[in-house]
Amino acid sequence: MKTTKLMRIAMVVLAMTFAVSMASAQAINSGAQPIALNATLAESLTLTLSANAVNFTLAAGSAANPGSTNITATTAWTLKPGRTAVGVYAYFANFTAALTDGAGNNIPSSAFFISDNGGASTALTSSVAFGGANAGYQMANVAITGANKTSSRTDVMAFNINLTGGTLPQLPAATYTGTLNIQAQATP
Amino acid sequence: MRIQAKFGAAAVLAMLALVTSAQAQVLNSGAQTIALQAVLSQSVTLTLSGNAVNFNLTSGSPNNPGSTSIIATTTWTLKPSVGNLNVYAFFSNSASALTDGAGNNIPSADFQISNNGGAFTALTNTVPFGGANAGLQLSSTKIIGNNKTGTRNDVMNFNINLAPLPNLPAATYAGTLTIQAQAI
Repeated sequence: MKTTKLMRIAMVVLAMTFAVSMASAQAINSGAQPIALNATLAESLTLTLSANAVNFTLAAGSAANPGSTNITATTAWTLKPGRTAVGVYAYFANFTAALTDGAGNNIPSSAFFISDNGGASTALTSSVAFGGANAGYQMANVAITGANKTSSRTDVMAFNINLTGGTLPQLPAATYTGTLNIQAQATP
Repeated sequence: MRIQAKFGAAAVLAMLALVTSAQAQVLNSGAQTIALQAVLSQSVTLTLSGNAVNFNLTSGSPNNPGSTSIIATTTWTLKPSVGNLNVYAFFSNSASALTDGAGNNIPSADFQISNNGGAFTALTNTVPFGGANAGLQLSSTKIIGNNKTGTRNDVMNFNINLAPLPNLPAATYAGTLTIQAQAI
């Protein structure tokens, strides 16, 4: 009888101790303070060249007049989700006078060839996003997916002037100069 | 004549004695009690020096610092039973701490805070507030006898690490970082 009473008292004391402990463990929180975060990743598309000059030692009437050096075009981009493609283009401003001696003798863009990344050598005869009509060549077209919205590519260009077409075998001796442009475009 | 004078002096002395005796009798009212009760409630408040941070991101870069640091000032008055005062930073969701709203997200694992000049640390822990694996305990102050009422500052610098997200598309990413304190 006495033992039962003592056990009851002990249980009551334990319960009270537990209740006090629970009350002590009540956490007190401050108000939640927000910080608005705004991070902008701007769109970018850059193209750099490994060099900016190529020389040709021409042989009259020859199909093979390679450039003195290859040039690598490196295109890098960070694009918005709506973009679907990146194109890399080579072009002249004018089809008929890609290179000229300034005295009315010209080498047309159709006689200027680029081999991109070891591919077939192709004349600049297409109308592309930049430059003159029929004076360009699309070297690359990269489809943009979720995996390459930020990426880069390289185009190694080897050059050649073909002097066999039309009146070019009769091209007079002279120094012919011109400017080839390389440019990239993300669409749409 | 001399006898008369002596009698007069004695009478004056007797009267003075009577008057003095009458003045020494104090009279007190009953004592009335006023019960006093002063309650110093427990409190924890946290305020911020600013509520917005901007980031100019560079694709793939591990270093994209926030435009400003923010100071969290925590002030408390606590009962003796409280053991610690902790300050937390957290997002509601670890997968999308910041988002462009088009399914492209910056997770809390790539959001970093340097507190009071310490190392930059990502928000990858589960803390009392916010989403799982989306938090960071900025500080823990042990409450002892001399700081049951106290205050502390946490100066937070922010960074977004895009090295693990090299293909993140160009966009504006928005999110809400929350700072909150808890005494326990």
